[in-house]
Amino acid sequence: MTAPADRDLILRARRGETEAYGELVARHQTNVFNVCYRMLHNRHDAEDLAQEAFIRALDRLHTFDPEREFGPWIRRVATNLCLNHLEAQKPTAPLDEERDEDKTQSPGEQAEVKERSEQIRAALASLPPRYRVVVELRHYQDLSYDEIAKELSLPLSDVKSHLFRARKLLAEKLHAPD
Amino acid sequence: MHLTDERLNEYLDNETADKAGIEAHLHSCKKCAARLSDLQSLFADLDSLPDVELSANIAARFSPRPSLILQPPRWLTLTTTLQAAAALTALVVAAPFFSIMLSQIETPSFTTLLLQLQTRWTMFLNALSALAANPVEEFQLPITDYPLPIAELSALFIPLAVVSIFWVLGNGWLLRNQNR
Ligand SMILES: [Zn+2]
Repeated sequence: MTAPADRDLILRARRGETEAYGELVARHQTNVFNVCYRMLHNRHDAEDLAQEAFIRALDRLHTFDPEREFGPWIRRVATNLCLNHLEAQKPTAPLDEERDEDKTQSPGEQAEVKERSEQIRAALASLPPRYRVVVELRHYQDLSYDEIAKELSLPLSDVKSHLFRARKLLAEKLHAPD
Repeated sequence: MHLTDERLNEYLDNETADKAGIEAHLHSCKKCAARLSDLQSLFADLDSLPDVELSANIAARFSPRPSLILQPPRWLTLTTTLQAAAALTALVVAAPFFSIMLSQIETPSFTTLLLQLQTRWTMFLNALSALAANPVEEFQLPITDYPLPIAELSALFIPLAVVSIFWVLGNGWLLRNQNR
């Protein structure tokens, strides 16, 4: 027996089968959580917003075309939620203290990889929310410029300038000579 | 003239219409090739970011857990079952007594009952008007000296028992349905 397709789970969830939606969440929760974690750089908030994204998606499931892919859609829902969350916060909030620091020290190469990931995450977290979201959509969700513009209701020129400036800032943070 | 940042970015994003022109310049210009290489390493850095494990199971918050289903506690189910069994036994045991009692009770015809009720109502109204006419006189309901037709104690028990049995059985049935 093969596992049911997302499409079948969506149709069943729309008929009120809670288990079907639970299965759908189980399939996509790690991806959605990682979207939120890249955007927020805080595990606790990322979990909260990932859950919120699934709640929103469930509310809107009756308008979702089941022939489309659920994964990209739910990740975009989560991205938008995170953007709203970030923009609702005071820009001067003492976020940096709350942010996750990788305190676990594994030996050798793994520690180096972790350290590098942590640098990348920290660099992403240092970007203004509007820049962060275009990087997320372009680099991690593979959206085109046009798709990003549509998703964020921004002019194409803004998408480009946000993305290019974001990359410049990231490069400065990550490739600065030690 | 060197390539702008914008053109380099668009080239790497596969969003340029002038791919050949950009590549021609990159072949001939070390400076722009180096800028491209820097940008590529940033892309590689972003790509290298591993997914982290989710420590909580969000899906569990959406699937109904058995404990969350409206399920009466075991003791309640047991009590209801015992109650129903006791009620049924009582009914079976009481059945012969009931039949005897029922035969003993004088069941007046519906017309007689109506007549009696009417008489009593008239008397009650008379008493009320008497009270209104002479409020000082001690008021007494005239019902006491009039025997109720079927108000024997035993006759009250029968409907009471039947109602209880239906109530208990009905409760059990409702609870059973909620289990699903
Ligand atoms: Zn050049």
